[in-house]
Amino acid sequence: MIEEIRQTCRTLLEAGTVNVVIAYGQSNPDGPVHPIFVTKPDDVEKIVWNKQCFANLTTYLTRKEVKSLGKAAILVKGCDARSLVVLVQESQVERSDVHVIGLACEGVGEPELAGKCRVCEVHMPVGVDVTIGSTEAAAPEGQNRYALVDEFMKKSPEERMAFWKQEFERCVRCYACRGVCPLCYCNQCIVDKNRPVVIDTSATLKGNFAWNITRAFHLAGRCVSCGECTRVCPAGIDLRMLNASLAQSAEKHFNYRAGMDPETPPVIGTYNAEDKENFIR
Amino acid sequence: MSETITQQALRALVDEWIGAGTKVAGPSYVKKDLCQYVPLTSSAELLLEGFIHPRNSVKDFFFPRHEKIYEYTLKGHEVELADMTPASTPQVIVAARPCDTAAVAILDAVFNWGEKDEFYTQRREAATIVALACVTHDSHCFCTSVGIGPDAEKGADVMLLPLDGGFEVRCLTEKGKTLFAGRTQPSDKTAVIPEGPKVKVSPEQVRAALEDYDNPLWKTATLRCLSCGACSFTCPTCHCFDIVDEGNAHGGCRAKNWDSCQLCMFTKHASGHNPRNVQGQRQRQRTQHKFRIYPDKFGEVLCTGCGNCARNCPVSLGILGTLVELCAEMPKTVGESK
Ligand code: SF4
Ligand code: SF4
Ligand code: SF4
Ligand code: SF4
Repeated sequence: MIEEIRQTCRTLLEAGTVNVVIAYGQSNPDGPVHPIFVTKPDDVEKIVWNKQCFANLTTYLTRKEVKSLGKAAILVKGCDARSLVVLVQESQVERSDVHVIGLACEGVGEPELAGKCRVCEVHMPVGVDVTIGSTEAAAPEGQNRYALVDEFMKKSPEERMAFWKQEFERCVRCYACRGVCPLCYCNQCIVDKNRPVVIDTSATLKGNFAWNITRAFHLAGRCVSCGECTRVCPAGIDLRMLNASLAQSAEKHFNYRAGMDPETPPVIGTYNAEDKENFIR
Repeated sequence: MSETITQQALRALVDEWIGAGTKVAGPSYVKKDLCQYVPLTSSAELLLEGFIHPRNSVKDFFFPRHEKIYEYTLKGHEVELADMTPASTPQVIVAARPCDTAAVAILDAVFNWGEKDEFYTQRREAATIVALACVTHDSHCFCTSVGIGPDAEKGADVMLLPLDGGFEVRCLTEKGKTLFAGRTQPSDKTAVIPEGPKVKVSPEQVRAALEDYDNPLWKTATLRCLSCGACSFTCPTCHCFDIVDEGNAHGGCRAKNWDSCQLCMFTKHASGHNPRNVQGQRQRQRTQHKFRIYPDKFGEVLCTGCGNCARNCPVSLGILGTLVELCAEMPKTVGESK
């Protein structure tokens, strides 16, 4: 599969179809896999594809440093393709400006498969320009994708509050969660507004609650559960639970799942006169 | 000849410190897969082996991520100010890695430069640091490249070196001697610490490479950087802070909060202009500060090779990779030690 990936990228670069390929690379064979930006055809040899390819590369599509390189091709797994759908729907990315190379994916994480991969429904990415590889992998029958949240909600409100206090206590406000998130693309994040200050920048419990809850709310009905924020948090905060609970609400109340289908209008950006809430009329 | 302590006796001693009201902090698993330096409530929480480097650093205990400088209360048209007293509760940092203790010694210079930072200094004076030598390292460690190593004593009051299920205890300062007085046993063995990571880069060569301010490498090698603070905030030597006012109509505080040169707001002017507007410029700043600016001013590099910046980086960047790339471009004559 890797040869096919490299060949596809080489052809795109050689033909001048794209100026850069956003891909996975590894500085040394035992080292960690990280994003790379390939601009020369011969450098496609640096591209890797393995169980350590966690990164959701679509986060780079909105970054000015990467945009300045010109037209891009990008490698996406099924879960990453979902965030691309949202980026297009939210007018952050012009779909025709990107060449999307989908990778058939049986899951990342070794020896243990990442949590999101165990319940994945998009092993074969959708909405891409070309798919490389194939897989029969499928989501387990009758799975509950919100099992974690349901389990957590069995706890009393006091216990849940105690859990979040303990988690948020550790937040150092490094904003790695924001940096890695493909859908945290705002030019000026609300936490960076300082005239006046909207959210305390202090890493106190108050400031940390305000930050993490606000970020979760801003991702309600948008988060595609790629899990990147949780993976990168240096304080090991279980952010996925917050996101999953809001995704669950979006599905329950609006039958909507972000990034699953480019044709379904985004729940946050849609007006529906039949809405069950009265305030909308 | 050496002085030693068994692991059991050390744990008992740690419990005594805690019992006596000393704040004790050390490496501990706060949850699955997350080892951090944290305040300990019992020696049972303390890790003495089986970890490389905690995800945070011991600077947390001298230079906390948030610190109130003063509080204010609004009473009608009057403002009442109340100074905060710097914390001077005795504290012991136990099982600190040598790259962390060395960092504290390096930070002393900047926090006592011109104005004394009372908050930092008082905590520092009230603290005793018990270092733990390293018997293993990972691919991110490069302490030996910046003049320290797995049993470097810089900044430590006591050095513990693993030996036969216990530790050799080297008391290096008066504070250290007081802490362990009467608690160690003489032994005819001395600990032998395995060699640390191989030398990966030379600070002199880095220093020379940094003269080329407009090196195109800053654009290419740092493209994947996401502009977060994960590297700076978990770095034992990064020490930048922001001063903020926080409060409401009745009162609030002025506080000193960690800040990072990697965040886009760091250099943003009130006019909206940002002199470091792209990530490559911010990466250059971090490296320049550590390997040129700080050494020029204080005589030593602002990096202890702990590797935390790479360990915690969402995209595995870290400073070491950049330093290696910088030097790879250099003509061979400038320092051969690579
Ligand atoms: S990545 Fe973690 S520590 Fe950093 S701001 Fe986000 S929640 Fe806080
Ligand atoms: S919030 Fe987290 S899980 Fe959701 S899209 Fe952003 S990075 Fe992915
Ligand atoms: S180097 Fe890594 S940790 Fe540092 S700002 Fe860039 S992405 Fe964040
Ligand atoms: S720059 Fe990186 S390696 Fe150097 S002290 Fe800071 S975290 Fe450690």
